[in-house]
Amino acid sequence: MRKIVAFLLFPFLLFAINANAMLSMELTRGIASAIPIAVLSFAASGNTSSQDPSVIIRNDLQNSGRFKVADQESSGIDNVVVGKIQNVGNNRYKVSFELREAFQKKSAPAAILLKKDFTVPEQKLRALAHHISDLVYEQLTGIRGIFSTRLAYVVVQRSPTAPTRYLLEVSDQDGYNPRPLLTSLDPIMSPSWSPNGSKIAYVSFENHHASIYVEEVVTGSRRLISEFPGINGAPSWSPDGHKLALVLSKSGSPNVYILDIGSRQLTALTHDFYINTEPSWAPDGKSIVFTSNRGGNPQIYQMNLASRAASRITFDGNYNARAAFTADGAHIAMIHGDGGAYNIGILDLDTGAFRVLTHSDSDNGSPSLAPNGSMILYDMIYGGQSVLAMVTTDGSVQIRLPARNGEAQDPAWSPYLS
Amino acid sequence: MTFKKLVQAFIVVCGIFTISACSTTGSHNSDGKSGAAGASGVQTAGLGQDSDSFGGRDGSGAQLAGKHTYYFDYDKSDIHQDDMPAIYANANYLRAHPHATITLDGHTDPRGSREYNIALGERRANAIAEVLKSKGVNAEQIRVVSYGAQRLAMPGHTEQDYQMDRRAVIASVQG
Repeated sequence: MRKIVAFLLFPFLLFAINANAMLSMELTRGIASAIPIAVLSFAASGNTSSQDPSVIIRNDLQNSGRFKVADQESSGIDNVVVGKIQNVGNNRYKVSFELREAFQKKSAPAAILLKKDFTVPEQKLRALAHHISDLVYEQLTGIRGIFSTRLAYVVVQRSPTAPTRYLLEVSDQDGYNPRPLLTSLDPIMSPSWSPNGSKIAYVSFENHHASIYVEEVVTGSRRLISEFPGINGAPSWSPDGHKLALVLSKSGSPNVYILDIGSRQLTALTHDFYINTEPSWAPDGKSIVFTSNRGGNPQIYQMNLASRAASRITFDGNYNARAAFTADGAHIAMIHGDGGAYNIGILDLDTGAFRVLTHSDSDNGSPSLAPNGSMILYDMIYGGQSVLAMVTTDGSVQIRLPARNGEAQDPAWSPYLS
Repeated sequence: MTFKKLVQAFIVVCGIFTISACSTTGSHNSDGKSGAAGASGVQTAGLGQDSDSFGGRDGSGAQLAGKHTYYFDYDKSDIHQDDMPAIYANANYLRAHPHATITLDGHTDPRGSREYNIALGERRANAIAEVLKSKGVNAEQIRVVSYGAQRLAMPGHTEQDYQMDRRAVIASVQG
């Protein structure tokens, strides 16, 4: 008997510094020019039950690969984060922090770059720490931080004594608080966040055929969106959130369509008998990239939505698939193969320059861009198991996220959520 | 040649699967169907059980002669020539039992992109279906589902494992 259970997802109900997170991050390579910073333990007053936002802030900044984080000031460290946390009763905490320069001129105090305080309930302390990390990151790099974003991904739990279980999970960007949106005995694929992060579209094989659902992240309620005969796959939200590009094979072979979610109107973008799949919208909404083997092997094509003219844009290697735009629309990440293992590549749309970012002996796939365009989330094989990993778009920083209760694959990075 | 001679009992892969075969007929696009927690959103329709039980003695599943799993080369959906006799035999059975229906599952190895593999798996299952239809089997008797690389035969990552993954399977017979 098939049982599909959609779980309710309450964002901040389960506050704890959870040492048993599904994903935990291991920085495997950082840039030599990382910014030295000290994040001191926050001074506690009142009973703070050992809650210390500085632990999360240190992890966030260190795992970004752009900072070399210490918990003490010392020479050579130019920036310091200090803070206080105070129990103000009723399970609420006042948290204040400062980001200041470390050195002091004889006649001037250290410059304060940021200074803020907040009062929050206990269950929001973790989210507040991530918010402080975002503020510090943006102040020192000029780039908006992604520490308050989330990851969606599929977990596959195989067991010799039980049927394989599939879960669609959402976690914080650092892997904490994993919660299932869907649990199933049939495969789940291709999660795709709506532009405001309130919904996720995905493919489910419940009932033994592929269908596309859209599920509300907060409530867990969902709607069946597409269930044509044959393939229903690769949902991708338009930037305005009103349409989904998707793949249907009801014409006899897989073609790319646009479905208007409100009116249910379906428009075919491709009309041939090749494999056309994996549509992805440009941030300006004017074009879609997709994978097609119309040239013999899978390559990426770009279609202007006004003219419906499609042209090939990848010319390196013999396999390019699963394209994803950076937020500025200037680059596309993809799966790239040239006869060996599949790796993550990135194409500069203006210059045509192509670069391979990962260099493993085992396959890498499913690239998904962080909303600040700085990092790519993907899946890879490590120790014979599928795990999630991240790489910066210049290839300089790599992070692996070891999975703990199954294989993690097919990830999708949320948009900014706050 | 009579199909009453039992060559082998047909074993449904993962026998807990049940098939709602009505989704082969025409397009079915449900909208506005909101699933509450626990609702499975299943549409089912029986085949209208006219069981001429020429089939198995236990009344479930029918028999198909010979092998029902066909393997493919990397990135290909060309049928191996030595699979043709078994496919023709299955076609003969289905022609003789016009109320029998099968599901053809298409699969790939896990290399490369998942959604591209869904399409490749469908090509493999369709290739078998086309041979069956060319031998006179009715299209309504065949349902194709692609799982791409989502239901691997072998969880490992060696070439031997991958060879076992690249397959189309007659996964279920009814009638």
